[in-house]
Amino acid sequence: MLTIARLFGKSPFAPLQSHMNKVASCMEKLTKIFEALSHHEREKIERLVADLSSLEHEADLTKNDIRNHLPKSLFMPIDRTHFLEILSLQDSIADMAEDIGITLTLRPLDYLEDFQKDLSFFYSKTMEVFWNAKQIIEEIDELLESSFGGIEAEKVKSLVEETAFKEYESTLLERLLMKKLFSEGDKLPPPSFIHWLKVVEGVGQLAKLSERLANRIRMLLEVT
Amino acid sequence: MELFSFLDIAILVIGFYMAWNIGANDVSNAMGTSVGSGALTMRNAVIIAAILEFSGAFFLGANVTETIQSSLIDTTQLMGDPTTLVIGMCGALLAASLWLQFASYFGLPVSTTHAIIGAMLGFGGLMGGMQGIYWDEVGSIALSWILSPIFSGIVAYFLFSLLQKKILFAMNPTMATRRFLPYLIGVVFGTFTLSLLFNGLGSLSIDFTFPQTLLISLLVTVFATLISLFIVRRTPEPASALATVAHLPHTLISIDKAIKHLRRVRAASDEGSKDEISRLLNEMQVLAKQMREKTDFSARTSEYAVVEKWFGSLQIISACFVAFAHGANDVANAIGPVAVVISTLSHGAVQASSPIPVWLLAFGGVGIVIGLATWGWRVIETIGKKITELTPTRGFCAEFGAALSILIASKLGMPISTTHCLVGAVLGVGMARGIRALNLGTLKDIILSWIITIPASALMSILCYYLLKAIFT
Repeated sequence: MLTIARLFGKSPFAPLQSHMNKVASCMEKLTKIFEALSHHEREKIERLVADLSSLEHEADLTKNDIRNHLPKSLFMPIDRTHFLEILSLQDSIADMAEDIGITLTLRPLDYLEDFQKDLSFFYSKTMEVFWNAKQIIEEIDELLESSFGGIEAEKVKSLVEETAFKEYESTLLERLLMKKLFSEGDKLPPPSFIHWLKVVEGVGQLAKLSERLANRIRMLLEVT
Repeated sequence: MELFSFLDIAILVIGFYMAWNIGANDVSNAMGTSVGSGALTMRNAVIIAAILEFSGAFFLGANVTETIQSSLIDTTQLMGDPTTLVIGMCGALLAASLWLQFASYFGLPVSTTHAIIGAMLGFGGLMGGMQGIYWDEVGSIALSWILSPIFSGIVAYFLFSLLQKKILFAMNPTMATRRFLPYLIGVVFGTFTLSLLFNGLGSLSIDFTFPQTLLISLLVTVFATLISLFIVRRTPEPASALATVAHLPHTLISIDKAIKHLRRVRAASDEGSKDEISRLLNEMQVLAKQMREKTDFSARTSEYAVVEKWFGSLQIISACFVAFAHGANDVANAIGPVAVVISTLSHGAVQASSPIPVWLLAFGGVGIVIGLATWGWRVIETIGKKITELTPTRGFCAEFGAALSILIASKLGMPISTTHCLVGAVLGVGMARGIRALNLGTLKDIILSWIITIPASALMSILCYYLLKAIFT
């Protein structure tokens, strides 16, 4: 008659973190793709994007698994809807990474040398935002232990503020990059111009989603 | 008379089996988490639980046993027919154990308390119809079944909230624990002394007036506080990162606050001082940045592990209280009907009520201990592995709430389900954001098995009565 044992459900937080790890492996792949991009290695990009797609699919499976094993009767220290939102933000980051990768394979690339350099700088800034958000998700264990308050919450709060600031920096970079693209865009054939436009927008989205994810966690804290 | 001596032995055997069952299955509620968290070894847990379960049953078991013996059904209507009563009690006890066996086979979360009450009511109803049952008393018992888990939940909720405020949300949790723990231990001991002594200790015929009880509890509180203060002082501070980290996180937070306030000052000040304040603010921000680089947050947050370690000892204390309270309340489930039979047989006639013989309480206590020693430790092991979630801070709050609730109920003579009290207390901690995932579906099962158990064991009790009657007469 292990009533007490049955009262304790399976914690969904460890699977949430392992989903984030899968998302992070998508991001690592995307970083490799951008490296290949700066070396103009088209074939390598194609191969890496295929890898990225399968990683994203794996992440999707994990996500569905978590959702399917989250019965309404499970009582957690955070709202169920909140939890699902965090999960879906993580998922959309992986989706966005895949989208960017696929966009890069849609047609042969026309390069603008100066723009290329700025793009990879912008990309590395968005990656900083993402890895910050990843670090916050890793802190969930400790947050649960302190029940979302105290020194741990202060730590997460400062991480969130850092994330928000980096996102702001990346927005500034995005604006500059867009300016450059629009002023030099007439050197490119129109499809290529739209191509790069989509890439820049996509990378910008990565930063925005990561920042939103960080802020979602911020809302769970018991500190003001 | 030969029939009587046979039934005498038979009911003792069934009663022993019930006590064994209680010891085997339910003691794990008290000890499971302490063993699971490593605060206690299995051997020590079994020894401690055995001592406390026995003393609970022996010193405090009479209250609830009397309720089951004489307040549930009207035995006086069987004045002239002791054989029927004795057979009926055997049947009730047999029915309860059969139902428990059946339920655990199908994995239903039933409570021994509910089973035995249902079985008693079944026999009472069969004999006297509606008049055969003291409905007032049954009503108040049913009420206590609802109130006791709620009460333990509320206690656990507020206790955990207090721990959050004082320890978990503190900027230096280890220091806060060292400061706060002795007083907490004092209050825990004081509360239990108070709830143990009020109304007197029946079987020891110790009786204190309320002011005396209060005074004794106060003394216990002070004494326990002083001892634990002493122990905490003697325990050296664990070699934490205190010395190696240049700046502590809370100084960093303070400097952040200072910057925030300076900004406000700048916004409110006039042109003359504005430049000066801006310069100050700049310096502060540079300083804060330097400090932030040198601050190691992670060294600090690992302190929660230290806090949990401290609370391990407190969890053992609360587990002891649960074991004691459990013995006090649940021994009645096994020996309540036996007490009826014993008093009838010893007087040769049906008694309205009679004092519970001390040897019977000891008998029940021994049954529980043997159940614990032969089978219960396995269940403790299983529970301990399954609920690692209940870390010492959480476990302490839940067990304190449950133990207090069970102890009060035992003093009032209310036969309640200890498991349900613990479930209520765990939910209370969960409400205070203390537990990662709780299956609220279990609650549905509990309520459902509540509703099923009473009529089912009543029905089985009636069947067992007819069966035994057919065999023996």
